[in-house]
Amino acid sequence: MKRTLSTLSGPLGAILLIVVLMSLAMVVAGTSPIDGFSALFLGALGGRNELGETLVATTSLLFPALGITLAFRAGLFNIGAEGQLLMGGLFAGAVGAAIALPPVVEITLLLLLGAVGGGIWGGIAGWMKARFGASEIIATLMLNFVAAFLALDLVSGPLKGPLASGAETAWLAPQYWLPTLLPHTRLSIGLVVALAIAVVLQFVFTRTVFGYDLRAVGEAPEAARRSGIDLRRLTWLSLALSGAIAGVGGAVIVTGELHRFNTQLSPGYGFTAIAVALVGDLNPLWVCVAAFGFGILEAGGLAMQASAQVPKDAIHLIEGLIILVLAARRYVAARTEVA
Amino acid sequence: MQGSAQPVLLLRDIRKTYPGVVAVDDVDLELFPGEIHALVGENGAGKSTLASIAFGEVRPDRGTVEARGAVGLVHQHFELAGRLRVWENVLLGREPRRGWRIDAAAAHAHVIALAQRNGLEIDPDAFVDELPVGIQQRVELLRELDREPAILLLDEPTAALAPAEIASFFATVTALAKRGTAIMIVTHKLAEVMAYAHRVSVMRHGGIVERTLAVQTSGEQLARAMVGGDLPPVAARAATTHAPCLRVADLHGGEDERAVRGVTFEVRSGEIVGIAGVEGNGQSALADALAGVIPYRGTIERPPHARIGIIPQDRLAEALVPNWSIVENAILGRQYRARSRRGMLIDRVHAREDARQIVERYDVRTPSLDATVKHLSGGNQQKVVVGRALIDAPSLIVAYNPTRGIDVGASALVQSRLMQARNEGAAVLLISFELDEILSLADRILVMYRGTIVGAFEREAVERAQIGRLMAGIA
Repeated sequence: MKRTLSTLSGPLGAILLIVVLMSLAMVVAGTSPIDGFSALFLGALGGRNELGETLVATTSLLFPALGITLAFRAGLFNIGAEGQLLMGGLFAGAVGAAIALPPVVEITLLLLLGAVGGGIWGGIAGWMKARFGASEIIATLMLNFVAAFLALDLVSGPLKGPLASGAETAWLAPQYWLPTLLPHTRLSIGLVVALAIAVVLQFVFTRTVFGYDLRAVGEAPEAARRSGIDLRRLTWLSLALSGAIAGVGGAVIVTGELHRFNTQLSPGYGFTAIAVALVGDLNPLWVCVAAFGFGILEAGGLAMQASAQVPKDAIHLIEGLIILVLAARRYVAARTEVA
Repeated sequence: MQGSAQPVLLLRDIRKTYPGVVAVDDVDLELFPGEIHALVGENGAGKSTLASIAFGEVRPDRGTVEARGAVGLVHQHFELAGRLRVWENVLLGREPRRGWRIDAAAAHAHVIALAQRNGLEIDPDAFVDELPVGIQQRVELLRELDREPAILLLDEPTAALAPAEIASFFATVTALAKRGTAIMIVTHKLAEVMAYAHRVSVMRHGGIVERTLAVQTSGEQLARAMVGGDLPPVAARAATTHAPCLRVADLHGGEDERAVRGVTFEVRSGEIVGIAGVEGNGQSALADALAGVIPYRGTIERPPHARIGIIPQDRLAEALVPNWSIVENAILGRQYRARSRRGMLIDRVHAREDARQIVERYDVRTPSLDATVKHLSGGNQQKVVVGRALIDAPSLIVAYNPTRGIDVGASALVQSRLMQARNEGAAVLLISFELDEILSLADRILVMYRGTIVGAFEREAVERAQIGRLMAGIA
C-alpha cells in the first residue's frame, strides 16, 4: 500500500492520475478518451499554427506565473496577478495609442510601462500590508475588481479610441506591434522576454543577496527578521516586483496580440497562473515547463471543443483537478516522510 | 534489583540505518522491573533512535524487541494539545463516555485520582498552554501513566525544567520505580544520572560502549566513555583589560513593558556577565530587546558599528532556516557583511568556506555541508548557531542558553569558545538557566527575578546558596 502511494506521489504518478481524470471527464462529456486526447494534442501541437497558438497561451500564462512565483517564494500570497496584468496592459495600451516614437524605443517603453502599471498595483497591496498589516490575500484579490472596473471606466470614457465602437483604446500603429517570433502565427517575441525573465528570476533567487533575503522571509519569517532583514521593505518590494512581472505580461498581450487595450485582455490568465506556478514548484525554470503544459490545455481545449464536442469548460475542470492532485501529492509526500 | 527478576524489555541485535549514517549498530539492551536505567551519550549517538525503537515508533532494520507489558514514552518535545484542559489532554482518545457524550465528571475524578496516586499535584481544569513547562511535563507524564505502562521511557525529561522542578520530577520517577515500573531515561545530564539512576549504558556512534552500575562509576568516567577520550579542556580564564561596551539603563520591555522592569547593568569588553534566573523571569524579553526585535523603553548603548554575535533561545524558529543547507544558514544574519557578498551577489565561495569552518571548529556531525539543517540533530543545529554567532570575532556576544540540548563534549567546546572570545576582548552577556554554566564561565553574575536584577556578585565572592535563594525570590 505504501509503495503504491509513493509511486503515485512521484511526478509520473501525478501525470497518470491527471490522464485518468481527464479521460473520465471526456467520457462524462460523451466522447471516447482516444478521440478527446487526439483532438487535444492535434489542436495544440498538430501544426505550425496550432503550436503558435499554444505558445501564445504559454506566454500569456508565463508572465503572471513568474510574478506569482516571486511573491509566493517570499511567503506572500499574491492572487492579484489578474488585476496586475490588466493594469500593465492598460498603461501600455493608453500610452501606445497616444504617442509616436521610434519603434524600438516605443516598444521598449511600452513594456516598461506595463511593468510600472502592474508594479503600482502590486505595490499598493504591498504597502497596505507593510504599513497597516493588511492581509495581502484580501488586498490583492480586491484590487483585481478595482482594476477591472477602473480599466472599463477609463476605456469607456477618457481613454476610448475615437473610432472604437466598444470599450477599448485606439489601435497601435503596426510599427509598434511586437515582432513576430514564428512567421505566419500570432506568436510574438514576448515569449523570449518571458523566458529571459524566468532565467533572471532564477539567478536572483539563487545568487543575489536580495533573493536570499526573499527566500529567507518566505521560509522562516522570524529567523529572517532576526537576521536583520527589513521585512516591510521586502514585503512591498516583493509584491511590487511580482506585479511588475505580471504587468509586462499585460503589455505583451497588448503590443503583441490585441494591438489595443480592452478589458477582455485576459480570460483569467492571472488565476490559472497560480496553478502554473504551483505545478512548476515555484522554480522559475520548471514554471516555464508548466506554462507550456497549461498552454497545451488552453489551446488544445478549443480544438477539442470544436472537433470532439468536449466543452472547453472540461479544461477548466481539469485544471482544477490538477491542483487537487498536486495538493494530494504534497500531503502523501509529507505522510511518507513521517512514516 | 535485577537479580532473579525477568527483564520486561529485551532488545536484541538492534540495527537501524538512515541514509548516510548507522544510527544504532547491533545493540542489546534489557530493562528490569523497578530499575531506573540511564541511557547516556552525545548528540547523535543514537539514544533517541533506540528509545523510539523500544517504543515501537521506529522499526529497526533488524533485531527484535520484546516487551512484557505496555510501553510509555514521554517525548523531549511535549506532544500536548495546548488549547485543551489538563484532563482532556490526559485522557485524549480514551475519554469516559456517557452515551455519545464525554462524561466530564467521571473524567475529572479519574484524573484527580490518577494524580494523587502518583503524588503529582495538578489542576485538571487548567488550560495546558497557560501552564509552565514543568507542569506541562507532568501532564504528559500523567497521560502515559494512565495507560499503566510496565516500561516507561523518558527522552531528555529535564531539558526544559528548573532545578526545583527537576528534584520533584525525580521524586516521582523514583516512586514509580519503587512500585515496579521499569524506567529508562535518555539524557546527557550526568549529574542527574549519578544522583538517580541505578544502571547506566553509554552509547557512542550507535553502539553501547559501556554498561555499569551508577554506584561503580563517576561523572568524569561516564563523560570520557561518551566522548571516547578526555574532554576538551575549557579554555583558561586569561587576564583582560576592560573597556565599556554594552550599557543598559532602566530598560523596560516585553508584554506591556512588564517582562523587563527597569533593568540596569553594564558589560565591559573582556568579561562575561552571567544572568542567572529561572525561566520566565524576563530573560527572553531582555534578549529580544538587545537583539532589537521588540520595542523597549530605556537605554541600550553600544559602540557604533560594533559586531554583535547573537545566540537566540529557539534555534529552529529564530536562528535557522530549517529547509536550507548549512552553507546557506552559515551566512544568515551576516548576509550584508562585506565578506558574504560581492556587490549585490552572494559570495558563495566565502559562504562555503565559513560553513566548513563552523563544521570543523564545532565538530558538527553532518554528511555534508549541503545537508539540510532540519535533518541534523538538535545539538548539531545548536553548534551551527553558535559557530555562526562567533565566526566574525564579534565585540559583543549575547548568548541565550548556548549549550541547551547539547551533550557534554559539545558543551565544553561551546563554553571554551565563549571563554576564548572573552579572552580576546569580546564583551559577553550569558543568559542561562544552568546555574553551573554561569558559575563556571561568568566574571560577574546578576540574578534576575520577575523582570528586575535582584542581586549582583563578583566571581570571587559568589555564594551559591544565596544565588539560589534570589532566583527563587526568597531573600
